[in-house]
Amino acid sequence: MESKGVSRRDFIKTVGITTALAATGTIPPVLYASERRLVTFPEKTELLLLTSSPPQLETPLKYFRELVTPNEALFVRWHLSNIPTSVDLDSWRLVIHGNVDKPISLSMDELKKFEKVGYTAVIQCAGNGRSFFEPPIFGGQWMNGAMGNVTWGGVRLKDLLKSAGIKSGSMEVVFKGLDKAALPTVPGFLKSLPLDKALEDDIIVAYEMNGSELPMLNGFPVRLVVPGWYATYWVKSLSDIEVTDKPSENFWMKTAYRIPDDPCGCVEPGGAPKKTVPINRMTTRSLLINPEDGSRLKSGQSIELMGVAFSGGYSIREVLVSIDGGMNWSPARLGKDLGRYSWIQWFYPWQPAKPGNYQVMVRATNSIGESQPLDGLWNSSGYLLNKIEKYNLIVA
Amino acid sequence: MKFIILLFISAALFFTSAALAGDQGFVKEGSKRSITLPAPNITLKEGPGRDVTSSYCRICHSLDYITTQQKFTKAKWMAVVTKMIKVYGAPISGENAKIIADYITTHYGIGG
Repeated sequence: MESKGVSRRDFIKTVGITTALAATGTIPPVLYASERRLVTFPEKTELLLLTSSPPQLETPLKYFRELVTPNEALFVRWHLSNIPTSVDLDSWRLVIHGNVDKPISLSMDELKKFEKVGYTAVIQCAGNGRSFFEPPIFGGQWMNGAMGNVTWGGVRLKDLLKSAGIKSGSMEVVFKGLDKAALPTVPGFLKSLPLDKALEDDIIVAYEMNGSELPMLNGFPVRLVVPGWYATYWVKSLSDIEVTDKPSENFWMKTAYRIPDDPCGCVEPGGAPKKTVPINRMTTRSLLINPEDGSRLKSGQSIELMGVAFSGGYSIREVLVSIDGGMNWSPARLGKDLGRYSWIQWFYPWQPAKPGNYQVMVRATNSIGESQPLDGLWNSSGYLLNKIEKYNLIVA
Repeated sequence: MKFIILLFISAALFFTSAALAGDQGFVKEGSKRSITLPAPNITLKEGPGRDVTSSYCRICHSLDYITTQQKFTKAKWMAVVTKMIKVYGAPISGENAKIIADYITTHYGIGG
């Protein structure tokens, strides 16, 4: 199939077909624009290939039918080409240094002596859904699979920092992993948090995903978890934590991963922002997971629409569903509550009375009233996507 | 006998589940974890500038970073190549930058 004249809707459908074919075990090597296909990477189930080096792999939506995303299905996204492919815990250390009283270097056993904490939290790439922006935006063309809901286990960052002793005048905490660039001129992947944010109780250095050690591609042996914030801060294969007394000048904070400095984080489509700030908390989102967009249903047959809803650290208060393109809205039933960082499943029983094309829309609102815009907001990096999605179901 | 059959079945189940879990390329030995990544397998379309594009872009990333983009104009692709040079220090001359932007726009972009 030639990519010429392929609309975005076709693009989405094609990937749907890819998934369907994978289930039957016949995966054509080439499908859309010659590059979208299912691949198997180490410790991973079949994921959608965005790029192979550095790897960016997307989770097929069917895995979001489960409340918690299995480790082998969680998306993968690295920035620098030399990702860690081998780690020996005998020599691995987590170093905490900089503006501290006493720099410390912790082995995994030493790290595990700190109090263990955990919770379930959504991890979502800042650019999740970028391919749905209009006009299109350069960058990883993610659909909605650069996210997942994982139960994290680890130790409080705060406890580690206090153990090293934070000196007065400290401003930021800088995080660095084991990944390295191909050229010395490429800025190392550093992320930082303001000190007051870094000291929040819920920020952890995680050594467990769903009760198991982290897959290498998700940051073995430990990664930072900043629940409620986009995954750009969740530094993988974390090895170096530095407390600094001045703001970060690093490329990945100062130039990349920034959003327009206004309440919507948006500009006129195609426009440029006057001032930007580092991206931070996630926007509120809801998605239909089952049945998938474009599914065919039988008239008169009862089904239950199912999906997920989440926001940047606040519980979901309400999910509304429309099956008539937004004219009428009714509340969905919410599933088990795993806390304010987890996504919540929503369910909506439906019996289509007559054949036709139905447009399903879903809208979530969190406990502080944040919701989703009907028309997408736009920014030049393709971040924060949370427009109300439109799905087509065909009833025959 | 029963024991041997059970052993056989459990061994078969073990290998099946290992294969399903994507264990190819993953080795766990004591305190050590290693993975072997599948090699990128992308061939850019024939055309003038393909070799220059392949050899320079591949220094830092696989070529699917080009082929999975949406269709962008030559001005946009030129800006992207310039960013690779100015921000990331890609060792690409001005002449080659133009060849790369031309090639990508012709085969994966929009307009000329």
